Amino acid sequence: MYIEIKDLDFKYQNAKEHTIKGFCLSVHQGEIISILGSSGCGKSTILRLIAGLEVPSSGSIVINGKVMANHNRFEKPENRGIGMVFQDYALFPHMTVADNIKFGLRKMSRNEKLNRLNDLLELVGLSGYEKRFPYELSGGQQQRVALARALAPNPSLIMFDEPFSNLDANIQQKIRDELRDILKRTGITSIFVTHDQKDALALADRVVSMREGCVTKVGKPEEVINTNFNDVRFISN
Amino acid sequence: MWIRNIKWQFNSWAILTFVFVLLILLPNLSVFAQLFTEPNENWYHIKEYLLKSYVINSLTLVFFTALFTILIGVSLAWFVSAFEFPLKNFFKWGMVLPLSIPPYIGAYTYHGILNYTGVIQSELRNSFDISVEQKYFDIMTMPGAIFIFTMFLFPYVYIITKSFLEKQAASLVENARLLGSNSFEIFYRVIIPISRTAIIGGVSLVILEVLNDYGVVKYFGIQTFSTAIFQAWFGMGDHGSAVRLAGILMSIVIVILVLEKLFRGRRKYSFSTSKVRPIQKLKLTGIKGFGMSAYFFIVFSFAFLIPLAQLALWAFMTYDIIFTEEFYQLVWNSVFVALIAAILIVVAALIIGNYTRLSNGRIAKAASKVTILGYSMPGAVIAIGVITIFIGLDRKLFPVYEAIGLQPTLILSLSISMLIFAYVIRFLAIGYNSIESGFDKVGQSFTEASRTLGMSVTQSFFKVDLKMIKGAVAGGFILVFVDILKELPLTLILQPFNFYTLATKAFQYASDEMIQEASIPSLFIIMISGLSIFLFHKILEKEPS
Repeated sequence: MYIEIKDLDFKYQNAKEHTIKGFCLSVHQGEIISILGSSGCGKSTILRLIAGLEVPSSGSIVINGKVMANHNRFEKPENRGIGMVFQDYALFPHMTVADNIKFGLRKMSRNEKLNRLNDLLELVGLSGYEKRFPYELSGGQQQRVALARALAPNPSLIMFDEPFSNLDANIQQKIRDELRDILKRTGITSIFVTHDQKDALALADRVVSMREGCVTKVGKPEEVINTNFNDVRFISN
Repeated sequence: MWIRNIKWQFNSWAILTFVFVLLILLPNLSVFAQLFTEPNENWYHIKEYLLKSYVINSLTLVFFTALFTILIGVSLAWFVSAFEFPLKNFFKWGMVLPLSIPPYIGAYTYHGILNYTGVIQSELRNSFDISVEQKYFDIMTMPGAIFIFTMFLFPYVYIITKSFLEKQAASLVENARLLGSNSFEIFYRVIIPISRTAIIGGVSLVILEVLNDYGVVKYFGIQTFSTAIFQAWFGMGDHGSAVRLAGILMSIVIVILVLEKLFRGRRKYSFSTSKVRPIQKLKLTGIKGFGMSAYFFIVFSFAFLIPLAQLALWAFMTYDIIFTEEFYQLVWNSVFVALIAAILIVVAALIIGNYTRLSNGRIAKAASKVTILGYSMPGAVIAIGVITIFIGLDRKLFPVYEAIGLQPTLILSLSISMLIFAYVIRFLAIGYNSIESGFDKVGQSFTEASRTLGMSVTQSFFKVDLKMIKGAVAGGFILVFVDILKELPLTLILQPFNFYTLATKAFQYASDEMIQEASIPSLFIIMISGLSIFLFHKILEKEPS
């Protein structure tokens, strides 16, 4: 397995209960996984744990044979090589599009950086926008910059936290298709978190349904979403 | 597993934060520890004959100043947020300006106005041939000191209460109006109770300032803790008793801080609602509007206009003998120490702020609390603590001094580093608050994004975080710089031999009955603080939060 997460437990410092209880997940290389659940079920916390932004209280995370976290090891986020697109994109407001995208590129010559930048701009369809600042872009464009920035250092895994929640409803579908297209073209393994079953149906190879910090169901989108009717009604609201 | 967690927590940010916290705590603890040692003979004398009057005088000043600053500050805040009257927009920020006049400057200015040779009495004598009873014109009394503190400190209550009322009170006031209460009833039955937390916040700043003061009480000859500490240390050379007095004053401050927490309860200054709606203002016209403006004008005159005019007049009379080489040296000294201390404070605040925000644990929270300790402590207490530490350090370093061929004398404790260290302890909280709120506004996601892109905490700090809180850093720097420029008690105790700042020189002139010569350094201080207050409030008004 490319990604192997076992028995993950996690508790926020001031919380009484564990936010994540016994979370397990295996992911193949190149797979697109969607974690589906209502708000507060702990799905974003899973991403933060994988990225190394939170420290699990027990359990292990192994990616491509490298131990990211277990009982006596904790790899810092900057050493994990995992890309993340944040819910609010977190584009650095004091940098141009080009500087944002080049931010994670290191140990490269100027020319290599420039080539990488141009490839990525082309990939996300934003060639010509490199001199703009984030506030000069629309929401959809900002998201594509965030995607390009996360892809730039060639991460072994890319994760999205509610990628469509900040976009207008009428462009969500278009962006969703574009995103799937880009992910499949790059062949990168990806995990995204959503509360919307439509996103999961359209994008995912496999869906993980979560509730109160536990996995309730894993499988093909059709299986998980249709068979678990209670969950769906709960979620679609 | 705990080894893993410790490794994860333990980085240079944590270590530096820990060091800073220790440095802040050390002088305070050394003062506090003295309380539990065996007192000397002189102490029994102080305790028997003097302590009671120190306590009574300090508490009298605190109590009445608190009372009057509440009356003036809250009433002004309420009028400004609930009514429309002539010149309101001017007074709204004009009422902040008295803060730019340090009380000790106000004290000798008012004394200069009112004394036998002052402008009022000489005018009465020369033009009307009236000689007045001196006791009615003597401001150097307890009521006079209370008047001075009230006039120059009420803006603390005014500012905090006003911003609370502007943000929170609209619906409550409207309800009360609908239920048929008049403005007076609303003030007593609604405004005072709901703004309780804000008022306590403001008034505790006032109280800490009164306890911190040395200039006013010394000049007026009122015996308080501050003056007693000075006297024991310099007058009697009784260091043990000075530290002991500082320890008692420190305990009083701690009691006040605890009381503030209790009174404020679990509530913070504001319950945040997303809908901030200003109170619908009642328009006052005719005699009522005029009366309101007159009230504001009277307060504004006593707290700002009159002292400023008097200082300007004196400055006009003395500028040719003041602007000398020596004066420029004075300005340079002041700016130099304030600049160095402010830079150190900003750096320390950035490190502690970044660590506490990222680690978010109990230790980190405690660290951020400790930064506030210094600001609550009266200058004299910090000064005594710092001297004790530095002299101890010098003694430890004697062998080192000898080894490098220096005379084994007090080197550190006679240098400017002691003063700067004390400034850092006292004013760290000011810089820290500004930087912390900057970090709060920015949030964590930019740092997290940077880290998932392969940057370490430190790289992220320089490439992302620092650039995003530039404004807060600059704001904190200015506030600290100005506060240090005005500072008196710490500087008086800790300034090296023959080293004066604008503040201490002005105070020395005034103490030597050279009030007119004090005017130009005083005006300098007022001008710089006034400017920074103005800028700061303009910036605050612009920002949406």
